[in-house]
This record gives sequence, structure tokens and C-alpha cells, in this order.
Amino acid sequence: MSDAAVSGGGSGFLQKLPGAIPGLVLIVGTMVVIRYWIEPWMSTVVLFDQKGWLVKVVHLNYILLGIIFGMIYRNVIFGGKLPNLFVDGFRLSRLFIKTGIILLGSLYTVQAIVQLGAIAIFLIGGFVILSVVMVLWLGRLFSMDRSMTGVLANACSICGVSAAIATAPAVEAKPAHVAYAVATILGFGILTMFISPFIGHALDLTDLQYGAWVGTGILNSGQVLAASLAFNPNIAPGTAVSVAEIWNIMRVISIPFAVFAVTVWYWAGAQGNGGAERKTIGQLFVEKFPVFVLGFLVMVILTSIGAFGDVGMKGGPAASATIKMLRLWMTWIFGIGLVGLGGYIDVRELAQAGGTPLKVGLIVGVTKYVLALLVVLAIRDYLVAI
Amino acid sequence: MAEERIGSETVASAEKGKMTLFRDDRQEDWGAIILATLVVALIIVLTMK
Repeated sequence: MSDAAVSGGGSGFLQKLPGAIPGLVLIVGTMVVIRYWIEPWMSTVVLFDQKGWLVKVVHLNYILLGIIFGMIYRNVIFGGKLPNLFVDGFRLSRLFIKTGIILLGSLYTVQAIVQLGAIAIFLIGGFVILSVVMVLWLGRLFSMDRSMTGVLANACSICGVSAAIATAPAVEAKPAHVAYAVATILGFGILTMFISPFIGHALDLTDLQYGAWVGTGILNSGQVLAASLAFNPNIAPGTAVSVAEIWNIMRVISIPFAVFAVTVWYWAGAQGNGGAERKTIGQLFVEKFPVFVLGFLVMVILTSIGAFGDVGMKGGPAASATIKMLRLWMTWIFGIGLVGLGGYIDVRELAQAGGTPLKVGLIVGVTKYVLALLVVLAIRDYLVAI
Repeated sequence: MAEERIGSETVASAEKGKMTLFRDDRQEDWGAIILATLVVALIIVLTMK
């Protein structure tokens, strides 16, 4: 671990932590109310002559409700801006999501990942390359600013916000470029996050097919997580979230490579105003590699060697008490993280995405989303269950 | 004027650091690893026979 993480930045975090308590209490309290009162009520209430209509037909669950509550806090109750009292608590939301993803490593074994690997790498790699090439081509076609094109290319191809921000300094992007790219992909991503579970249920997709689809077709990591848990809130090997996240992790790992590729493209065609840094792939890899993925891999290895007991794979022994508790805690950790994520969605900001970046982002986003579904349906017999 | 209006501290933030209590993404990653380690250790202790 870096010294900074322990010393300067670490103590900074610890100093800020007490200020995060009110927001954290609001988020945790919201999830408690949703899981102990609203969810049980939804499964018993009769609407349109059907008991549990909200759950069975609308497929509402604690994940969707958590995001919706977060959005209501910011956009309705607090009038578009979180009060200072709660801001720091909401700033912990990504920490919870990343922690949950690390713990998700307990759903996999090394053997299962190797089995899944070839087809996942083929699909993810193919879609990343397709998206980058499409944005670069459309950017040229619509005479879009070169920096804007570079940022949007990686935003649409990998994992949205992280990729846009990672690419920005390498292609001399202005804050407005990043803001437009992020607002475009998030606007589209939020739409896909809410409609994907309904499409998945309407098409009667299995967890494997649905996970492969959203893990490939949805642009942003948080939205992949939300869409897969909204489809099936269970966390276990073979569920939608376990498939979608292994797909997503492979995409996240490709961030440094995609940043490098777009940087090379940018400088190959730049008109010689050498203001931005030129970095080697080694430097980019060290700087941009998402370190929390290492935690996920350690969890996979520990699970594979039986450190937590039986994992409850289909056809094998039942899951151990440790694994069962881990999965239960994960549902809470993700639930808390996604209430926080909802609190960061400002509907007015999304409306600011516009012009050519919006047009290009939507063309590429829709193409990727639809094509991923078609490809997954076409190769459904070859998808490897884990 | 997207620079001024977009992303003071939201998902559309151009400055991602404002979405985290940590100094940057890398530190948040380490924070998640530490928190996950604590969670796993606690669960192991709680489920110990």
C-alpha cells in the first residue's frame, strides 16, 4: 500500500469520517426502512387484483428502491443539492460499492473464471474495440473536437466515469469535455439501468444471459451492478450479479490499455501543441490500474483454496456459514452504496448533455446495448455458467 | 457553461475527487480493500465455532 494511503491521505480521511456520520445514518436508515418495511409490504399488498404486483410485475426490489430514494433525496427533498450535513456521508457510497465488488470475489473460483475467461475476453474486448472505433469514426464524421472525441471514446467503451476522467489529461480535455461525456453516458446509463430488468424479464432471459448482456452493454460500472441486482437481488454463484460483475471486472481492467490506445490516436493526429503529458503504457498502467480489482482477485484465490469453506456451487455441498453471512452482508453493502449513488444523480445536470457529443454517445450507446443483447442471444448455448 | 454548472459534487462531476471522502481514486481503492478485509475478518470471527 502507498505511504500516502496510510499517512497524509489516510489521516485526512479519518478526520473527515465523523462528519460523514449524519449522511451515513440517513443512507443506512433508508436501507433499513426499505428492507424491513417497504419490501415486505410490497410483497403482500394487492394491486390490480394481484398480491405482490409491485414485486412480481414491476420487479421493484431494495436495489431499485434504494437508487430511487437517493434520487428523491437530492432532486425532490433537498431541491437539487445535498445539505452540507449529509454530503460527506454520501461521499462514502463508492467506497461501499468497491468493497462489495471485492467481496463478490467470494462467488468465484479460479477454475470458474478460467472457464469463463475466453468467451468473456472475446465479448468484452470486441465491444470495447467496437465502441472506441465507432466514436472515433463518428467524431470525425461530425467534426467533433478531438479531445472531446477521445474522452467520449473511452467513456462509451469501458466504464463511463472512471474512463472519461482517466483519459482526460492524456488528450488535453477541458473540464467541459469530461462533463459532457459523463453527463451523456450517465443519462443513457440511468435509462438502461431502469429498463434492462424489465426487458430481461420480458424476454425471459436466464441470469447467465442477462448478466452477460448488461455486463457488456451497459456503460457504467455502478449501473451494471444496479441493473443486475435489480433483475435478481440474490447474490450467489450463477446469479445475474455474479455473471455481470466478472464481465465488468474484465472491462475495468482494460482501462489503462484503452487510455493508452486513445492517447496514441490523439497524438498521432494532434496539430503539435504539445501541452499535455506523453506517457508510456507502463506509466499509464501503474497510474490508472484500479487497485481494488486486486482485492477482488485475492478473494477469488481465498475462495478457491477453501478459506471460507464450501461456496455452494450448483450440484456441490451447501454454502458454509461464513459464505452465507458474506453474501447477506454484501446485499447490505451494495444497498447502502446504491442509495448513495442515487443521491449523486442530479437530473438537471443530465439535461445539460447536448449537441454532437450527446448524438454520438447515444448512437454508440444504443448500438452497444442492442448489439450486446443480440450477440448474447446468438451465443447463448456457448455461454459458460459459473 | 458546462464547466461552471456541471458537476460540483455529483455523478456528472468533472472532478471525481469530490465524490469521495478520500484524496483520490487510488486511495479509495485501498480504503475498499481495508474495509473488505475488516468485514471478512469480522464475519470469520462471528461464524467461528
